[in-house]
Amino acid sequence: MKRHALRHAMLWLVAGLLLAVWAFPVLWGLLTSFKSERDVLAYPPVWLFEPTLANYREVLFGASSILPNLWSSMVVSCSATLLTMLFAVPAAYALARLNYPAKRASGFYVLATQMLPPMGLIIPYYLVLQKIGGLDTYSGLTALYLSFSLPFAIWLMVSYFEDIPYEMEEAALLDRAGRLRTLWYVILPQVRGGIAVTTIFVFLNAWNEFLFAVVLGGNKVRPVTVAMFNFISVEQTQWARLAAGAMLAMAPVILIGLAAQRHIVKGLTVGAVKGGGRR
Amino acid sequence: MKQSGNVRMEGVVKQHGSFTALHGLDLEIRPGEFFALLGPSGSGKTTTLRILAGLESVNAGRVLLDNADVTHAEPGARDVAMVFQSYALYPHMTVAENIGFPLKMIGTPAAARSAAVQDAAAKVGIAHLLSRRPGQLSGGQQQRCALARAIVRQPRLFLLDEPLSNLDAKLRIETRAELRRLQRSLGVTMVYVTHDQEEAMTVADRMAVFMEGRVVQVGTPKSIFQRPASAAVASFIGTPPMNMLPARLEAGMVEVAGARLPVAEAGGQSGAVTLGVRPGDLRIAPDGMPATVEFIEDLGDSAVVLLQLAGQQVKLRAANAQALTEGQPVFLRFDPAAAHLFDSASGLRL
Repeated sequence: MKRHALRHAMLWLVAGLLLAVWAFPVLWGLLTSFKSERDVLAYPPVWLFEPTLANYREVLFGASSILPNLWSSMVVSCSATLLTMLFAVPAAYALARLNYPAKRASGFYVLATQMLPPMGLIIPYYLVLQKIGGLDTYSGLTALYLSFSLPFAIWLMVSYFEDIPYEMEEAALLDRAGRLRTLWYVILPQVRGGIAVTTIFVFLNAWNEFLFAVVLGGNKVRPVTVAMFNFISVEQTQWARLAAGAMLAMAPVILIGLAAQRHIVKGLTVGAVKGGGRR
Repeated sequence: MKQSGNVRMEGVVKQHGSFTALHGLDLEIRPGEFFALLGPSGSGKTTTLRILAGLESVNAGRVLLDNADVTHAEPGARDVAMVFQSYALYPHMTVAENIGFPLKMIGTPAAARSAAVQDAAAKVGIAHLLSRRPGQLSGGQQQRCALARAIVRQPRLFLLDEPLSNLDAKLRIETRAELRRLQRSLGVTMVYVTHDQEEAMTVADRMAVFMEGRVVQVGTPKSIFQRPASAAVASFIGTPPMNMLPARLEAGMVEVAGARLPVAEAGGQSGAVTLGVRPGDLRIAPDGMPATVEFIEDLGDSAVVLLQLAGQQVKLRAANAQALTEGQPVFLRFDPAAAHLFDSASGLRL
């Protein structure tokens, strides 16, 4: 009994330490967002200060409001995520299950696109987008994100499809479901967890993307990551506003994470039951 | 009762790369028959079943269902149902949705579907579990659910791939009797794959014995047990397996292990043969083949005695082995009619 309690205490300690390491920058940012610029720069750091909402007022409704940028981010991230999943799910299913000529080659091609360093692609992408008039447009940036997220999503989804036993499909085919209805009624419900996880990863990648957005965006399409960068200038860094902006930029991601948590956990248990179900 | 469900396979060849799984298979299964495909693993029985289902293509030959060529027909177009070894229940659907799925796919209205699901579930005794999910069922209940999904749309042919192999021994024996009863009451053709000869013997009307991609014998379980076509079939059918002894046949007598004993089916032939005697047909006698008792397996109501005979181990099944002790020298004889003679080169029955 005593050893049990000790083990619990150790577990809590380790979990607490890890959580502290992870949470510190976020909490520090949260604190900073409520400070005045003077309190931010105080040394040693002040723990007790008069909280202010001035930073939030400024980044939301002030001269340098990031609301249009949040909208930009939302449009680009949502459309990139939607399109990615629309193409990645059938593509991954085909790679996992169907036999067609050059299957291995196309699978490797998808992987190979992930091997290129993004830095090396900026200039070619710039030139291409410039040629087709895609600079500083939603469609241009979305298409660009697709080129990264699609291979990533396909490879993530392939492993989920491969986990499903072949007999599932064979049973459905004998039940006269045909290929498409088998996918819709039998296979997709079983990879729900995988779809949720992939969607979140793709959305996060697009939402947090900075490098391409700063080069290939502009005045019309400027995601929030780029807008926040404007709080850092040559003369000064507006830490408090930057922190308030960061908190606002994190909010939708955190909300999505909370909403999808149930699905992610469910996805994990579905896998467990399947093994049990096949006993 | 619709008398359909006739199966004919003609010269079916299946190759996986350079490996030939089936070498020109010919098979006929009659309507309403409980037909077992029996053989060791890798002998081609499951491949045969999957070809019947349309899940595997063939390299040559024809498959006919009720005289219609379905060699290249899609699985869904054949009107056959299959119970998989792993059951392949859809884990995200309830038992009722699982059973009703084949009907949903052919557009049966919800009311009719629900009635049919109830009916099928009642037939296999899981009507009280309809709202559960497969993960909440025991192995035996999952097996019944898979069966109900197969019978719900009244197919002309049932295919079962080792349906009992995932159940424990007691449940397996109960379920195989129920399966037999179900098949009788439905009057459908069932093709049943198993590697367990006892299972095949107890359920099947007729069976085909598979060895290395060929059907080596087709017949009723009894006829195959009594007259195995080759030494390989003989040693595969029956527990414990048949004893095989090198012998010389001459004028209706065999010379085996230093003794000369009469056999019934000599047919005037002579030369080197393999003599097969089932453990139940061997008995201890005052004279005959000299052997030594090695070990006694007492099964309670009977016993299996392991003996050394001319440098080879043989088994004898007796109702009672109390008179024997390990290490004791004895003599063995058999009824002349119980001797099976096989050509020692080809292994075929003489």
